[in-house]
Amino acid sequence: MTAQIETTEHEVAQLIVDALHLEMTADEIAPDAPLFGEGLGLDSIDALELALALSRTYGVDLKSDDARNPRIFASLRTLTGHIEAHRTR
Amino acid sequence: MTHPASYPLVGRSPDAVLFRLPGRDVNAAEFLRAAHDLAAALPPGANIVNLCRDRFAFAVGIAAAILRGQVSLLTTDRSPVGLRRLAERYPGLCSFADDPAVASPLPHRTLRPGTGPSGGEAANPMIPAGHLAAIVFTSGSTGEPVGHRKSWGQLATRSEDAGRRFGMTRSAPASVVGMVPPQHMYGFETTVLLPWHAHAAAWCGDSFYPADVRAALAEMPEPRVLVTTPLQIRALLESGLALPRLERVISATAPLFADLAATAERGWNTQVEEIFGATEVGSIASRRTVEGDIWRAYPRVRLSASPSEPEPLVTAPHAVPFALSDHIEALDGTRFRLLGRRTDLIKLGGRRASLAGLSRILTGLEGVLDGVFVAPDDQEQRPNARLAAFVVAPGRDPEALLAELRERIDPVFLPRRLVAVGELPRNDVGKITADAARALHDRLAGAE
Repeated sequence: MTAQIETTEHEVAQLIVDALHLEMTADEIAPDAPLFGEGLGLDSIDALELALALSRTYGVDLKSDDARNPRIFASLRTLTGHIEAHRTR
Repeated sequence: MTHPASYPLVGRSPDAVLFRLPGRDVNAAEFLRAAHDLAAALPPGANIVNLCRDRFAFAVGIAAAILRGQVSLLTTDRSPVGLRRLAERYPGLCSFADDPAVASPLPHRTLRPGTGPSGGEAANPMIPAGHLAAIVFTSGSTGEPVGHRKSWGQLATRSEDAGRRFGMTRSAPASVVGMVPPQHMYGFETTVLLPWHAHAAAWCGDSFYPADVRAALAEMPEPRVLVTTPLQIRALLESGLALPRLERVISATAPLFADLAATAERGWNTQVEEIFGATEVGSIASRRTVEGDIWRAYPRVRLSASPSEPEPLVTAPHAVPFALSDHIEALDGTRFRLLGRRTDLIKLGGRRASLAGLSRILTGLEGVLDGVFVAPDDQEQRPNARLAAFVVAPGRDPEALLAELRERIDPVFLPRRLVAVGELPRNDVGKITADAARALHDRLAGAE
């Protein structure tokens, strides 16, 4: 089966809200706002939680390759792009 | 008991591997050479802040400062405000980092320790036991950072003790993969200093995500030891990744529940031990969590009762006798039970803060009339729990206040919700009781 699975920003936003128990709705996460620091203000504990959720849901295993991760987590849009390119389920 | 008056900077043979970098091992002789090289390049001054991100660079930086006679100040608060505040107390304070991207408001240098080809023999000097090697900061009950002075003798003997406690021997040196940051007291002891005086080599590559840890362990020879936290144990187990054989898992920074320890022991066919310690005294005891609630003091650590102190004093070589802030019941001079922890102090992500101190930072912001931080009741059971804060600040936007807090406190302590209210439920003496704080928190939950 080669059906294209599309990863939507909304679906990833929902995953972030659920995994991190954020007090907001998925629609409130702006696609281009930073996830860490300014913006959503996530921290290192969140990064670990998020990595687990991505692994469970999409089979994407994050590694802290320094050159790569800041871009992956830069925004909802970049994270969605990374999942789209690397998902195994 | 008398103790030696000095200890070598590195108490290992020159060819013993101290650190393993991705694709490269660094032995004691090479480490000493790198430390001497870096010492010559450090900015001058009595005190220095080591902001290195890489564990190896951090370790070389600590050794270099000792060689230069400089005191390393270790702080997890790397915010510009935090560093400037330190500089007010330590005039002339300088900083250095390995990563050019690290910014510092202090006189600052970017320095990368060399790990170049072997040169001549580097000196391994004897350092007096009383030499002040480091000051490690925690946030005190007022929110002001409190520095805890670490004598060289205390650090060196504690590493020796830890090596003995965890069965590290010359014939079977341990490969340590640490998931905790090097500037935190627990990570400093177990992943930076340990190899200098115990039969261990520490991993210095990535080790944050489960996939990193698996890769790191695979690069290390047996016996392997994973130094981690309850939160990360849970994350590793949930990831379902198969790990290379683990001799031992060591946990600290938050209570490890027996169920989780038992699951980890079964899942990884290993032994899970907890270290008991505090930034003030360092690691002082351990227990295998599944065996029960009795802690065993490290080989040269003793608990002694004193008529003037309600809590037993902890004594250790070259350390000032210390009364723990946790309530303990001493069973004898070397074994104890932990009865409880103080409630104002909270721990998140291995960092510690005082709710009163955080509240004081909040009320110090412009336009804030009153404010309080509250922790959920079950914060200890949920390592990923977060704080909330309530603020009385007519005319100020909570978002803007949050941005100001972000410059002043560690991200893990930022309130997940900052709620503007008309007034806070203070009692007759101006205090917000635990019940009132709980009610505030419940109101928050009810509003969802």
